[in-house]
Amino acid sequence: MTNLELGLWSFPVLLLLIFLRMPIGLAMLVVGFCGSWIVGGSTMMIMAKLKSETYTTFSSYSLSIVPLFLLMGQFATLGGMSQSLFKAAEVWLGHRKGGVAMAAVGACAGFGAICGSSLATAATMGQVALPELRRYGYSGALASGTLAAGGTLGILIPPSVILVIYAILTEQNIAKLFVAAFVPGILAAIGYMITISIYVRLKPDSAGIRERVSYRERFLVLSEVWPVLLIFLLVVGGIYGGWFTPTEGAAVGAAGTGLVALFNGGMTWRSFSESILATASATAMIFLIVLGAGIYNGFLALTQVPQEAAAWVTDQGFAPMAVLIIILVFYLLMGCVMDSLSMILLTIPIFYPIVIQLDFGMSVEDFSIWFGILALIVVEVGLITPPVGMNLFIINSMAKTSIPIRETFVGVLPFVASDLIRVVILVLFPVLTLGLLRVF
Amino acid sequence: QEVTLRMEHFLPAQANVPKLILEPWAKAVEEESSGRIAIEIYPSMQLGGTPPELINQTRDGVIDISWYVVGYKPGLFPRTEVFEQPFIMKNAEATSRAFWRLFEKEMRDTEFKDFKVLATWVHGPGLFHTDEPIQSVEDLNGMKIRGGSRSVNALLTELGAEPVGMPAPSVPEALSKGVIDGAAVPWDVVPSIKVAELIGNHTEFGTPALYTLTFVLVMNKDRYESLPDDLKDVIDANSGIELSGFAGRTQAASDAPARQAAKERGNTVTVLEGEALQGFKDAAEPVIDAWVADIDSKGLDGAALLDEAETLIDEENEWLEAGNVSSGPLESTAD
Amino acid sequence: MAGGIVLVLLTIMTCVSIIGRAGIEYGLRPVKGDFELIEAGVAFSIFAFLPWCQLRRAHATVDLFTSGLPPRVNRFIDLLSEIVMTVALLIITWRLYHGMMDKLGYHETTFILQFPVWWGYAAAFIPAVISCIISVYMVGVRIGELSNKKPVETGGTIH
Ligand code: NA
Ligand code: NA
Repeated sequence: MTNLELGLWSFPVLLLLIFLRMPIGLAMLVVGFCGSWIVGGSTMMIMAKLKSETYTTFSSYSLSIVPLFLLMGQFATLGGMSQSLFKAAEVWLGHRKGGVAMAAVGACAGFGAICGSSLATAATMGQVALPELRRYGYSGALASGTLAAGGTLGILIPPSVILVIYAILTEQNIAKLFVAAFVPGILAAIGYMITISIYVRLKPDSAGIRERVSYRERFLVLSEVWPVLLIFLLVVGGIYGGWFTPTEGAAVGAAGTGLVALFNGGMTWRSFSESILATASATAMIFLIVLGAGIYNGFLALTQVPQEAAAWVTDQGFAPMAVLIIILVFYLLMGCVMDSLSMILLTIPIFYPIVIQLDFGMSVEDFSIWFGILALIVVEVGLITPPVGMNLFIINSMAKTSIPIRETFVGVLPFVASDLIRVVILVLFPVLTLGLLRVF
Repeated sequence: QEVTLRMEHFLPAQANVPKLILEPWAKAVEEESSGRIAIEIYPSMQLGGTPPELINQTRDGVIDISWYVVGYKPGLFPRTEVFEQPFIMKNAEATSRAFWRLFEKEMRDTEFKDFKVLATWVHGPGLFHTDEPIQSVEDLNGMKIRGGSRSVNALLTELGAEPVGMPAPSVPEALSKGVIDGAAVPWDVVPSIKVAELIGNHTEFGTPALYTLTFVLVMNKDRYESLPDDLKDVIDANSGIELSGFAGRTQAASDAPARQAAKERGNTVTVLEGEALQGFKDAAEPVIDAWVADIDSKGLDGAALLDEAETLIDEENEWLEAGNVSSGPLESTAD
Repeated sequence: MAGGIVLVLLTIMTCVSIIGRAGIEYGLRPVKGDFELIEAGVAFSIFAFLPWCQLRRAHATVDLFTSGLPPRVNRFIDLLSEIVMTVALLIITWRLYHGMMDKLGYHETTFILQFPVWWGYAAAFIPAVISCIISVYMVGVRIGELSNKKPVETGGTIH
């Protein structure tokens, strides 16, 4: 078997292990290890590499942003920011048809602005909003669909862990990616709200009505959400404005949300250690995947698969748009069964060299940012596409059997449709992604 | 082919060093071995790991050949730092050849004993690229400047600046946001990191240069030893003092066009001389003293190394001035 | 938990450093070598987080295709995964030890603070050993679970 064939065969083997429920990071580690062993003729090479690979991966300055953003999201939950956001959104939007669901989407967007993870957003907002939605008579399908979809705003609206990983893999500027993600993230929130209003018009019995609230009260509640806005502006603005590095920005965010939690009494020793432990297990999981992907991609490079694939696509002379669409569709399909971070780590080293050679009439940097945002969105759709969508499981498990998983699966479909429409719009109009970068 | 050698480096394939030095070298080796050696080049750290780990990966045989910035691992190759001291480097080609000779004499059996070193070189004169003009040492006071190695950072500190460590690709962003006030890099990297577009002042120091950085092209020793003798000969014929001189000259040759382009943009290029220059030399003196003391503390003789390096640089400079030139890859068979 | 404390300390240190840098005009100074401290500290934290993730069974998995299989088969698959994980952790820890000896032998130091790189490796080595012990323990737990008839819990994921 040539090295190239070996590289190609490693894909089905890897998928087999993953589908046999081996932890994804471990599966990549094992396949990458054995592959390098075969290519190298002995374990000498890969063993020597492992002397420093684990430590340098875990001690990467740019990756240290990941646990800090996770910590920031955890502290934001302790600080009760999810409640105040939802309350504020509720008094402004709640009286409309489907208004409480719209409020949940709005609160998810707000929470996404201080939380870098989709799952944490879904979990936090689910806890706050699910009981309220049920109280006002929202159907299980609409309530769980809304929250699962709203959770993805945690990663679409900056800061975002996946964008950090993409930026590191493609050597792009994290701050610019965050700014570029902003408009598509807002579009997502608007799209979800439109989806809700269409949904409740088609199925009027799926949502109840909440009474109107006076404007005085509305503005009063608004005054409680200023820490969220302040921290978001400080973190994203500070990173983009060059006051500090992305890692420092994440540290500032974690300190900011931590202080808020401390001041409003959300931070007890017990809740503090719980957030630390939640950060710990999520961080360990992510870094195992990063390490596995590093070993696996190193092996792939040895077999020349990425190089050959890029050369092959160039030689075929496909239309650039066709290649882009094929890749996005591939992500959507993979997203039905795989986790988004693993997908990015696994595929960007292969796809990026391919797409970077295609001519879309924009600079390499612009293209990298645009492609990153598109990839982020289609990968995130995977979080809410049945049958494997982590957000769906999270929200559904919160409902404690009061909502059958089938209902959640059905309820999320309109939101998936909204996502797909948004992808098409963003592909057709790159200016929506890149425009904000021109303004500042 | 019989042997496939894997070479890895951290720059994109189209950058100057890979395009003008590493690829021609690989091609020369492949051709002169009549295709019995194949060299696969992996740019941009494709095989994983970080640039500073390249040297360990080469020593351990993870990769066969790598191009390495010596300053990445302070302390690992203390003697090489003699060429990074302020106002030592006179001409990149001559200094690269001197580096090779000092390497053969002092380093081959000591700090590089675990490697097969193929070439040693330095980049062209390092200089300051800043927002505000620099006319004297005092102007540098409190400026946040990006430096590229332990020696450069020590120099910046001594000159009163605040050294900031960051990879070269982050420089444009940091400059445009005011995170740093300037950068110390040679001219040849200026176009690729768009420095001339972002700042208006370039401060040169004439000859000898303010500083330079050292590079090595290294091969795994066991891998080299395992080659049949005739293939070893091919490698040997294409490495050593000539390749070193060629690499230094080639890298420095990219300086002039970049300098010209900056001038054409209307940027100010100041060449310090007289009192202002002397001010920098005086301020830099403690850096050299501190380095000598540090080297002495490692049981070596810093002052002697410094003398030796300066003598070798002068000798090679004379050799160049006599009209000689280092032969590059694919030229060596001609002479 | 120790890893978490280190992470919080790093957060505070970074903020102090930013304030110090912002106040250069007023005579303040950023924390010297803050980048290097973060790198070493985060490496320690992540090694320290590994055993916890392991205990919580929080590693990301795909259980779409195995959920239809009988619990016994799933338990067996879990046991195999756990054994592979243990072997992987043992190799990682063993290599980390050799990496540490390398850094010690070659006197590698960091860029700014110039503290020996092997300190960072040594700090990471301790939690790595703990990970191995916990992993072996988890293999034992899985063996004990083989006879259990309850359905298996799903793994975690984030983002
Ligand atoms: Na976010
Ligand atoms: Na999915």
